[in-house]
Amino acid sequence: MTRNSILWLVWLLGSLIAGAAVAAVMYVGGPRDALLIGETTGAHHQIELACDACHTADFYASPKKVAKKMNKACLECHKTELQVSNDSHPVKKFRDPRNADVRAKLDALYCHTCHAEHKPEITRVSAVTLPMDYCSACHQEVYKNRPSHEGYGFETCASAGCHNFHDNTALYEDFLVKHAGGPDIKDIAILKGAAISRAPDPVSVALASADPKAELQAYLAALEDAPENPGEEAQKQLDLVLAAADAVAPDAHLTDDAVSKWASSAHALNGVNCAGCHAPDAENAEAIAADWVENPGLKTCQTCHKDQAKTFKEGRHGMRFHPKLPKPRKAPKDGVEKLAATLFRDEPLGPITVADSALTTLKPEAAAIEIGSCNTCHKPHEVDIAVAAVESCMGCHDDTHTRNYIGSPHHTLWKAELAGAAPGTGISCADCHMPKIEDRRGDLFTTHNQNSYLRPNEKMIRTVCLSCHSLDFAIDALADPNLVESNFNGRPSVQIESIEWALRRAE
Amino acid sequence: MTVKAIKAIVLGGMLATAPLAATADEGLDPKDVADMLHAVMDSDRTIYTKMIVQRLVAKEKLIKASEFFEDDKAAPLPAQMFRFGSEMVADKTDLFSYSLQSLWPINKQNAPRTDMEKEGLQYISDNPGENFYGEEELGGESYFTAVYPDVAVAEVCATCHNDHKDTPRTDFKVGDVMGGVVIRIPLDG
Repeated sequence: MTRNSILWLVWLLGSLIAGAAVAAVMYVGGPRDALLIGETTGAHHQIELACDACHTADFYASPKKVAKKMNKACLECHKTELQVSNDSHPVKKFRDPRNADVRAKLDALYCHTCHAEHKPEITRVSAVTLPMDYCSACHQEVYKNRPSHEGYGFETCASAGCHNFHDNTALYEDFLVKHAGGPDIKDIAILKGAAISRAPDPVSVALASADPKAELQAYLAALEDAPENPGEEAQKQLDLVLAAADAVAPDAHLTDDAVSKWASSAHALNGVNCAGCHAPDAENAEAIAADWVENPGLKTCQTCHKDQAKTFKEGRHGMRFHPKLPKPRKAPKDGVEKLAATLFRDEPLGPITVADSALTTLKPEAAAIEIGSCNTCHKPHEVDIAVAAVESCMGCHDDTHTRNYIGSPHHTLWKAELAGAAPGTGISCADCHMPKIEDRRGDLFTTHNQNSYLRPNEKMIRTVCLSCHSLDFAIDALADPNLVESNFNGRPSVQIESIEWALRRAE
Repeated sequence: MTVKAIKAIVLGGMLATAPLAATADEGLDPKDVADMLHAVMDSDRTIYTKMIVQRLVAKEKLIKASEFFEDDKAAPLPAQMFRFGSEMVADKTDLFSYSLQSLWPINKQNAPRTDMEKEGLQYISDNPGENFYGEEELGGESYFTAVYPDVAVAEVCATCHNDHKDTPRTDFKVGDVMGGVVIRIPLDG
């Protein structure tokens, strides 16, 4: 064989092997990094290798079908957010054929008309591809209907603190009129949800009194939705309470430190013994020892803390555990594909480390921290549950806004609350970014989707800012990027005219 | 016989009888379909306006009706009820679509947009009691388009529209044609 033919053979074999490897990664399993077509945005960076989370259409599907399937995939994760934001431009408003001309200019039926992934060169915040004046496609008549808008270009509609494409729940005209005026800081400035959830636990208050049952019974009877038989209910709640002596765990784990902390925790007050978290399925001491899990995580916590876990998986800290993400591709059972699957297998996404996250403003010393477990931020044996509200955040986050929190007015109030001021008067990181909201039954819980009240920042107004501030002040403050960066050390340097205009029209 | 052969015979049979089936399918004229749909829409709309808004809001003052019904813990306005229904229908089928429009819209998005909408709304306004029918092409598709007068059936219709800060017209009275219901049926199947 000549040298040339050997080289040809090597080239041919090499090409075949490389081709087979690419095909195996595409169709069977294995890391798909090499297939990424461009840098993924921070929003999806963590799940970028679960290609089929978004690319759900079949390989040979028509472009129309691909678009439809992709849109459906967007909504799998973002539907709730759009519902909460009472979307001003929902798809349903654009289906009518009379909107054909509007859709020709801006096809609002599809998310990807405005948002694109893997294209950093043409996208800005929130992966938006359109120039800032996108409103001009449909709202040309605005200057006629709203003479006050004369002189303001279309690029200012959604950039000046007045309008958003999706969420206008705190910006619509009637709301502006209703909430106009009032002092910058309200006379009674208190976060209602936080005030309720951070109030001293009635059971522990009762236990500290001379007659716990009478104390708790009186408390329950005075409630707006008082139980039918407060005495019986008080006894029931007191019966649940576990003391240090009740702790059941293998001897090695029954350290004084662990037991004393647990005994003063909400878990002990609510009858959750050591095994409740460390060996939830075990029914006797022997099984507890056998099943013992040293660091129980999300899987255990979510059996009781459902709302928190659900929202956690929707946010940046837990999105890799979102239930709608595709599972690793199954290994085929026969043929060449089975053979390929022995070499090429998908790994479950698992928790991401701080080092692997797309955020560049994190502390280098936090690089190895894994995100995706409740106890990354929470210390379940600590009595002070406030750790997760500030300290945990600052353990990793190191941007200017975070650093400026220390010493800010909100931080000063937070320190005052920790020192004994009324619950709900202090403002922690979590109070703004993971506010207390109501679940479907109307019960308060801390949303763990820190993204849902973040961007555009006017989303925070109703849930957070208005508890303590006037709408005028909140709109101005959030529209001032320097003030946001300084963590609200100072006063807004801008004044948004929307409320004034709305009032003038209402006269 | 192979599966393919069976398929071919079945398909051939279907093709052979296709003209017959089409004739049978042509039983319903788009105009009749539109008239039937409108009868339902108009009745539901009138009943909501009279029995909920006119009775409970205006007369008994038991509840409020508001454009911002969620924030105001109120009942949706009749025009919103109608639009929500039409949006839900659009989620379910593209066999027809409908909307409420007016030459004097409070919400400017409800002004007529296509030439036929403009012509139709003008026609029903100039010819009280008459409907308007036509065909138009939108986004490359042909539609049968019907426009029906939407009349102020109760006092609240006129008062709310006359008093709204965004209304272009303030002299509506009961019985006036305030706008029109536009129903579209695609003709290409």
